Amino acid sequence: MVAVQYYLLLSGAIFCIGLFGILTRRNALFFLMSVELMLNAANINLVAFSFQYGNLTGQVFSLFITALAAAEVAVGIGIILVLYRNFGDVDVTKATTLRW
Amino acid sequence: MSVAEASTTAFAFEVAPAIAVLPLASFVIALFAGKYFPKKGALAGVTATGGSLLLSLWVMLTVAGGAYYNEEIYTLVSTPESFDLHFGVLLDPLSALMLVIVSLVSFLVHVFSLGYMNDEGERGLPRYYAGLGLFSFSMLAFVFADNLFMSFVFFELVGLCSWLLIGHWYREDAPPSAAKKAFLVTRFGDYFFLIGVVAVFATFGTATFAGSESFPVLAEEALTDGGAGGELSTFGLGAQTWFTVLGFLILGGVIGKSAQFPLHTWLPDAMEGPTPVSALIHAATMVAAGVYLVARMYGFYALSPTALAVIAFVGGFTALFAASMAVVKRDVKQVLAYSTISQYGYMMLGLGAGGYVAAVFHLMTHAFFKALLFLGAGAVIIAMHHRQDMWEMGGLREKLPVTYYTFLAGSLALAGIVPFAGFWSKDEVLYEALVHGLTDPLLLVAYLMGLIAVFFTGFYTFRMVLLTFHGEPRTHTARNPHLPGWNVKFPLVVLGILATVIGLTNMTPVAEATGLEIEFLHTWLEHGIEGLNSEHYGELLETVAGYSAAELSPLLAAALSLALALGGAGLAYSLYSGDRPDRHTDRLGDARTLLMNNYYQDEYQVWIAETFGTGVARLSDRFDQSIVDGAVNGVSSVSLFSGGRIRRIQTGIVSNYATLLTLGLVALLLVVGLTGGWFL
Amino acid sequence: MTTRPRLNLGSHLIPGLVALALFVVLALVFLTASFPAPQGFDGAPITPSIGYAMFDLAGGQIPSESFLIAFEIIDLVLIAALAAAVMLARREGDGKLVGIEEIRTDGGHSRDSTTDADADPDSGSDAEVTNDTDPNTATGSDTATPTGEEAN
Repeated sequence: MVAVQYYLLLSGAIFCIGLFGILTRRNALFFLMSVELMLNAANINLVAFSFQYGNLTGQVFSLFITALAAAEVAVGIGIILVLYRNFGDVDVTKATTLRW
Repeated sequence: MSVAEASTTAFAFEVAPAIAVLPLASFVIALFAGKYFPKKGALAGVTATGGSLLLSLWVMLTVAGGAYYNEEIYTLVSTPESFDLHFGVLLDPLSALMLVIVSLVSFLVHVFSLGYMNDEGERGLPRYYAGLGLFSFSMLAFVFADNLFMSFVFFELVGLCSWLLIGHWYREDAPPSAAKKAFLVTRFGDYFFLIGVVAVFATFGTATFAGSESFPVLAEEALTDGGAGGELSTFGLGAQTWFTVLGFLILGGVIGKSAQFPLHTWLPDAMEGPTPVSALIHAATMVAAGVYLVARMYGFYALSPTALAVIAFVGGFTALFAASMAVVKRDVKQVLAYSTISQYGYMMLGLGAGGYVAAVFHLMTHAFFKALLFLGAGAVIIAMHHRQDMWEMGGLREKLPVTYYTFLAGSLALAGIVPFAGFWSKDEVLYEALVHGLTDPLLLVAYLMGLIAVFFTGFYTFRMVLLTFHGEPRTHTARNPHLPGWNVKFPLVVLGILATVIGLTNMTPVAEATGLEIEFLHTWLEHGIEGLNSEHYGELLETVAGYSAAELSPLLAAALSLALALGGAGLAYSLYSGDRPDRHTDRLGDARTLLMNNYYQDEYQVWIAETFGTGVARLSDRFDQSIVDGAVNGVSSVSLFSGGRIRRIQTGIVSNYATLLTLGLVALLLVVGLTGGWFL
Repeated sequence: MTTRPRLNLGSHLIPGLVALALFVVLALVFLTASFPAPQGFDGAPITPSIGYAMFDLAGGQIPSESFLIAFEIIDLVLIAALAAAVMLARREGDGKLVGIEEIRTDGGHSRDSTTDADADPDSGSDAEVTNDTDPNTATGSDTATPTGEEAN
C-alpha cells in the first residue's frame, strides 16, 4: 500500500510543473499543454482519495475531468486561432490590449 | 353664544390661511399662465387680493366679536424632547388689523398696476404680477405667523420678493443694482435675526408668540417670579441682560427691513422699481414687516428697558436724519422714500417709548397715506411720461384734479396737519415719547429729534406738493400731461378718503379734552389673547422695564407738534408758492451737497464693506483655497498618483496575472497553514 | 532539418520560482500531514463498477452515487465546446479565415519572412523555416543552409 501522501506529492509536483510552464512560456499552445498537466494532477488526487476512502466517485469524476479537458482544449484552440488572427501571433505577451 | 354662531366663528378662522394662499395661487397663475390672459395675470391678482381683503374683513369682524385663534397647521420638524418647527396661524386684534391693511393696500396696488403697467405697455407683465402675488402672500403669511421661525421664513421671502420686483426692469443699469443692494443690506440685518431666532430656540425651547408656553411669557416669568429663571439657559448672563441681547439680535433684522439708521440706504435706491411696487413695499409689506415684528413680540421687548431705549433712540434719530435728506431731493419718489424712512422712525420711537398703541396706530395710518402718496406720485409719473424730477413739473393741479386732491390729502396726513390721519397718530407717538421721556433723558432726546423732524416733514411735504402741482408748468410735458384712467383714480380716491378719516378712529387729544370714549384703537388693542394686549404691555412696561408716565395733557403736545408742522409747511409755502419758484435749496451750499449725497452714508458703508469685507473675504478665500481645497486636492492627487503607480501591475500580459495569482495562493496557503498549524 | 531542444535559461524563468515555491509549500503540508490507512477496494472489480455507476445500473460492487445526469451534462458541454471551437475557427465565405489573408505555418514568429518565402518558391526548405529570424536567409537557399548548420 502506498501512503496517500506520496500520491499527493506526485500530484503537487505535476501541478507545479504545469504551473511552471504557464508562468514561463509565451506560446499559447504551451499554455494548453500545461493546463492539461494541471488537470491530470487533479485527476491523480481524485483517484488517490477514491482509493483512500474506498469510494468510486473520485474515479468517475476523473473520467469526467478528462472529458472536460477535451472540451477545454477545443475552446482553447479556438481562442488561440482568434488570438492569432487578431495579433498575428500566438505569443501571449503580445496580446496586451485588455488593460487600462 | 349660540351653536350656529360658534360654528361660523370657527369657519372664519378655518379659512384664514386662504388669505395668504389666494395671492399664492395668483402668483402661480400669473407665472405660468399669465401670458394667455388679456391682462397678463392682473385679473388673477386683483381677484385674489380682493378675496383676501374680504376674508380679512371677515376675520376682523370675528375677532371683534371676541374670538381669537392660535393654532398650528403644519409641523415641519418635531423633536419630542426639545422643540419643534411649525407653521401656524395666530389671529388676534393686531394681526387681524394688519391683515386688512396689507390686503387692502395690495388690492389697490394691483388695481393701480393696471393703469401703471398694462396701459403703459410695459413688458414682462406676468413676471410682474407673479412677483406682486408672491409678495402679498409672503407678507400676509408673515402677519399671521404664530411663531418666530415662521416669521423668519416669510420675512426672508418678503426680502426675496422685493429683490424680484425692484429689479423688474432688469435690462436697465440701475434697477438690478438697486435690487441687489436692497437684498444685501436687508440680508445683513437678517443675519442677526437668524442668530436671534436660533438663540430664542436655544433659550426657551419654543418660539411661539402666544399662549402660556410662548417665549415672551416664559421670559416674563423668569424675570418676575425669579424661580423660573433658573430653568432657562441664559449662557452665563443675567436673565434680563440675556433677553436684551436676544432683543438686539432680532432688532438687527427689524432695522434692516424697516430701513432704520444705519441700514436705511437700500430704501431710496429701491425707488428704481415700478412705482406701485414702491407703494406696496413702503406702505404695507416689506418695510412694515420690521415694525410689525417688534409689535408682534412687544411682550418680549417690554421686558428690556435697554432694548426699548435703543429702539426709541434709533427711531427718533432716523426720523430726523431721513427728514433732513428729504428736504433737498429733486425726484418726487426720492422725497417719498426718505419720508418713509422718517415715518418708520416715528413708529420705532413710539414702540421704544412704550407707546405700543400709538406705534400701531401710526403703522396703520401711514400704510394708507403713504400708499396714497406713492400711487399719487405714480399717477403724476404716468402723466409726466415717466419723468420724476419735480423741477420739470409744476402746474399739474388743473390737469389732474383727482390726483391733486387725493395727493394733497396724503400730504396733509404726512405732514401731520389736523384733522388728517397722520396728525393723530404722529401726535400720539410724540406724546407717548414725551410723557415717558420726562423721566428718561435718552427718551427725551429721541423725542426732541422726532419733534424737530416734524418741522422738516411739513417743509419737504409741501415743497413736494407745491413744486409738483402748483405754479406754472416748467416743461412741455407738464403742459400736456397724459391723463390717467379709472384704474388709477379708483385706488387714489379710496386711499384719499381713508387717509382723511382713518385718524378719527383714535383721537386721543379730543378724548382727553372731552372725556368721550372715542379711542377705538385703544379699545381694539386692549382686548386680545391673554398676555398679547396693550393692557398687559402697559403693566410690563411699568413693573419690569420701569417706565413711568408723567402727567401731561395731550393737547399741549399736540399743539406743539401741529405748530411745528404748520411752520414747516408755511416756510415751504413762502418759498415755493410763486408761479416760478426759485431753487432755494441751492442757497444751503455745502449743507445741500452733504444732504444730496445722503451724508455720504453709501460711501462709508462701501468703504467698510471694501476694507473689512474684502479682508474677511480674502482670508476665507485663502482658507478655502489652501485648507479646504488643499485637503480635497490632496486626496485626489494622492489617489491619482498611487493609481498611476499601481496600475502598472496591470500589464495585460496573462503570465503576469498568473504569477500574481500563484503568489497570492502561496501567501494564502502560508498564512492559513501557519495559523492553522499545518507545518507542525 | 530540425534542431535539438536546448535549455533556454534566462530571466523569463523567474516567475517559475513562484511555482517552485508553491510546490515547496504543498510538499511541506503533505509531508507533515498524517492520514489513516487507506481502505482500498478489497480486490473488487473497479472498471465494471465505474460503468455501472456511470449509467446508474445495478450490479456495481463498490458503493458510489449515480452519475447519469452528470454524464449527460458532460455530453452537452462537449457538444457546446465543439460548436464553439468550430465557430471560432470558422472561415469566411470565400474560403479565407476571418481577418487574415493567408494561413501561416511558421508558428507566427515573423510575418515578413513568411511572405518572402512564399514569394520565392526555391527558398521554401526546412532550413528556411527554422532560421526565419535571420533576414539574410531570404536571399537564397545557398546562404541559408550554412546558417542553419551553424545553428545546429
